[in-house]
Amino acid sequence: MTPFELAEPRSMREAIALLDANDSSVRPISGGTALMLMMKAGVLRPTRLVSLAKLGLSRIETGLRGELRVGAMTPLGMLERSALVQRGWPVIARTLRTLSNVRVRNVATVGGNLAHADPHMDLPPVLSALGARVTISGPSGERSIAVEEISTGYLETSIRLNELVTLLEVPPLGGRSAAYLKCTTRSADDWPAVGVAVVLQLEKDLVKEASVVISAATDRPTRLAAAEKVLRGRKIDEKLLKQAGEAAAEEVSIVGDLHGSEMYKKQLIRVYLGRAIHEARAKSH
Amino acid sequence: MKRALSPTETPQVGRSLPRLESWMKVTGRAEYVHNLRLPGMLYGRIFRSSIAHGRIKRIDVAAAQAVGGVHRVVTAADLKEIVPDPYYGPAFHDQPVLALDKVRHVGEPVAVVLAADPHVAEEAAHLIVAEYEELPAVYDEVEAVGSKAIVHDALKPAGTFPDLKHLKGRTGTNIALDFHLRRGNAGQALAAADRVFEHRFRTQQVMHTPLEPLVSVAESTEESLTIHTASQSPSFVRSEIARLLGWPENKVRVRVPFVGGGFGAKLYIKLEALVAVLSLLTRRPVKISLTMEEQFFTITKHASTFRIKSGVTRDGRISARECEVWWNGGAYADIGPRVTQKSGFTAPGPYDIEHVSIDSYALYTNLPPAGALRGFGIPQLVWAYECHTDMMARELGIDPIEFRRKNLLRDGRPQATGTLMRDAAIEKVLDRLEVLMDWNKPFERGSGVMRRGRGIAVGFKACVSPTTSLAAVTVNADGSCIVFCSTVDMGQGSDTAMAQIAGEVLNLAAESVRVVHSDTDVTPYDMATLGSRSLFHMGNAVKLAAEDARNKLVAMREELKLPADAQIADIFKKKYGMQAGNVLGTGSFIPSYTPPDCATGLTSNATPFWMVGGTGVEVEVDTETGRVRVTRLINVADLGTPINPKIVETQLSGAAIMQLGFTLFEKMVFDEQGQLRNASLAEYKIPGFLDVPEEIINEAVTAEQRSGPFGAKGVGESGTFGVSPATANAIHDAVGVRLTSLPLNAEAVYQALVK
Repeated sequence: MTPFELAEPRSMREAIALLDANDSSVRPISGGTALMLMMKAGVLRPTRLVSLAKLGLSRIETGLRGELRVGAMTPLGMLERSALVQRGWPVIARTLRTLSNVRVRNVATVGGNLAHADPHMDLPPVLSALGARVTISGPSGERSIAVEEISTGYLETSIRLNELVTLLEVPPLGGRSAAYLKCTTRSADDWPAVGVAVVLQLEKDLVKEASVVISAATDRPTRLAAAEKVLRGRKIDEKLLKQAGEAAAEEVSIVGDLHGSEMYKKQLIRVYLGRAIHEARAKSH
Repeated sequence: MKRALSPTETPQVGRSLPRLESWMKVTGRAEYVHNLRLPGMLYGRIFRSSIAHGRIKRIDVAAAQAVGGVHRVVTAADLKEIVPDPYYGPAFHDQPVLALDKVRHVGEPVAVVLAADPHVAEEAAHLIVAEYEELPAVYDEVEAVGSKAIVHDALKPAGTFPDLKHLKGRTGTNIALDFHLRRGNAGQALAAADRVFEHRFRTQQVMHTPLEPLVSVAESTEESLTIHTASQSPSFVRSEIARLLGWPENKVRVRVPFVGGGFGAKLYIKLEALVAVLSLLTRRPVKISLTMEEQFFTITKHASTFRIKSGVTRDGRISARECEVWWNGGAYADIGPRVTQKSGFTAPGPYDIEHVSIDSYALYTNLPPAGALRGFGIPQLVWAYECHTDMMARELGIDPIEFRRKNLLRDGRPQATGTLMRDAAIEKVLDRLEVLMDWNKPFERGSGVMRRGRGIAVGFKACVSPTTSLAAVTVNADGSCIVFCSTVDMGQGSDTAMAQIAGEVLNLAAESVRVVHSDTDVTPYDMATLGSRSLFHMGNAVKLAAEDARNKLVAMREELKLPADAQIADIFKKKYGMQAGNVLGTGSFIPSYTPPDCATGLTSNATPFWMVGGTGVEVEVDTETGRVRVTRLINVADLGTPINPKIVETQLSGAAIMQLGFTLFEKMVFDEQGQLRNASLAEYKIPGFLDVPEEIINEAVTAEQRSGPFGAKGVGESGTFGVSPATANAIHDAVGVRLTSLPLNAEAVYQALVK
């Protein structure tokens, strides 16, 4: 590890000024759980790290439209334990309980999690399926994008080098049922081979609306539009789940890796899509 | 004030005493080499080979040398100033301290950067450039037998083993050692058998993954050297370093504090020769701490292929067995040739078979070296012969436990070598497995997506022989006691066990006994902490030393005409007129041994004791994904009479959980160029708490090792033996597919299901 500068700005404006639109060796650091590993491995060799610890971006509240508003520096563990989240968005709390381990969750933050864009992470597919948005601050002010639009590829994002995620907004769950399932193929605490998030608007067994996003098997969280189309307006039964699974396996492009071959991961998607739908339906009862 | 002395009448052996060092460890005060910093110390960072096999054309260190803060960059050429023939190894002198002329595996150390700041050394190491002339390479152990790619130009057996002498100077081969055993006439008996079964099994290369990676520090003067090292074999390190330097052993001191896990990774020479020579070159203390990732290129467990063929009579008796085993030793032999022979002779399993033939081969390949890993080759063998046993039982329509019982090797009967079995409770282990598994009760196998199954396996191991342990015990003038022994406590609880043994003899509470850690200037010789040998060998030596001390005290008391109930302190006070003096008891233990006949591999005395381990497994298999969950794990072993039942239990469960990782998912994955694709703990997964089965039962059967200290023998490996085959047998029981290659990961099970 080579020496680098650690800046600890106290205002957003100062923080953004310390970043550099053209220099990827200048990086913001929040919990640092991913960054430190990358630095140890020599993949990232920063010249300056801009700590966001003193920007006061840690809070959980509901907005005027009933949406969940989470400051970017909120630790994942705080979100997991929040009564507000457990009551209004239980799928988020459940997902967090299986995310890495308690030590990581107490340090890693919501903003860092979303900006890191590792396709194996658990929150991005869930938040994408829920239709969540983030506020991004840069030199020319704020903009808002869907979580689904953050990742553009493996560890690549649409967030510019001199921008910061400041706020996450998740619309109210309303009458929707949601579930996230992941499958690890080595140890239980391994990165998943596939993650499946489903959010369904159900009328008894009839799917009024479906939002399905998978992760891990693809290079970024990916919406399964064909599977959603199969599901919409249909009654949930084994035949439908099989059709949706086939559509899902068909529509994604997957590369085999140490977690499993392309063929095997497609099988996992087929199986886990159906199981996630069952799980979501079970939670709605 | 409480004195460090607690005379007691309470038996110390059999107490479930918490480990004596627990408090020091959980409060961060236990000594580890990783925390050692010496004045003026340099940190070494290793530059490693990027190719699997090649001749070194050029090593350009100029850019690294130019980095500010770099003290020196060292290559093999520099080392030769200090050690003209820098090759080491326990069985073969085949491994260079740094690559010399050739590299033989990806990750082989080629050069070292030394700097006072470890980060500077790391940065500079990235700037070294090496050019190679690539040579053809071989990776598979069976291909290596006839391969044109030859890893070593000539074999260089160490002089220490008489049975390796004939290999000296042999060229054009990758077979480091071939071991053969012939008892009866297997060929003829197979031809005469009613049924013949033949199967082939494979195991994968895996890593030890101790939480404390390898680390060594050397400090030197012109004529003395002290090595502080995380080693399981301080006595071997001393003699091998002395040999390399051409020094007498008394000029080399090797100290080992606590070790953070070993499992066989920290045996023989690892970093010690390198830091020793670097310290002598620079006249500064030198430390090298490997990263977790570097351990993948240092020492591993043998991948193996095992062809096994059995002849069975109509009534289910195994009459003949042919075993052919190929061990993938990687680029350097390490202790592989010993694995090939000392474990090889148990390849037919714990069965009474009249006609046996074994061929066991240690192969060189262009992969990272393989050595000993918790079981010393036994888990690879049990994997094959216990899958084979189940496959035969099912083919024959005989219950797997019944089939085993019919063929079991019982006390008094000759094992494959001809050695008669003694104190090996194989049948009792099988009986207890049957009971704990509720084997004869109906078993719910499920009917939907999730199917359930169960399986068992029993394995055995001969303790490596002949090996020596020496110990000393002092009793001080106040009656307190110190044990001096070179057994390394790497988490297995040996300090506690030795204190219990000394305390038992001297009527002292084990907590009050002090155990001095390995320091070759202070503690007597011990072969090494390996192969579950310490409790038996060192335990016997400590017991003898404590008895010697006790006898000396009794003699002193009688000489002074003191009553039989006199306090120890009073004996010394009377003898010396004040609180002064001490008695020194010594103990030396080497069991008898008869080397095997060169031609037949037979011997009447192969081992001082047998270890027996059986495993029962219940699994749940997801038929849509192939995922396997072990829901129940039962470990039963014969370990003689436990010295410390609680530690015995954790040794059994710990070994079984470790082996469960090797069974279900651990695997070092290499590409066609011999590059390791998963050299990090993010991509090489070991079991975590969520992988631990919901129910684990550990049981030591009632048994006694009559030659052991207070009836005890080793236990560190027995929990590993049966886990892999029991799991494969359970998967077969659940879903009817048979896997013959480890690991039994979800995709492998799924592929077999859809085939």
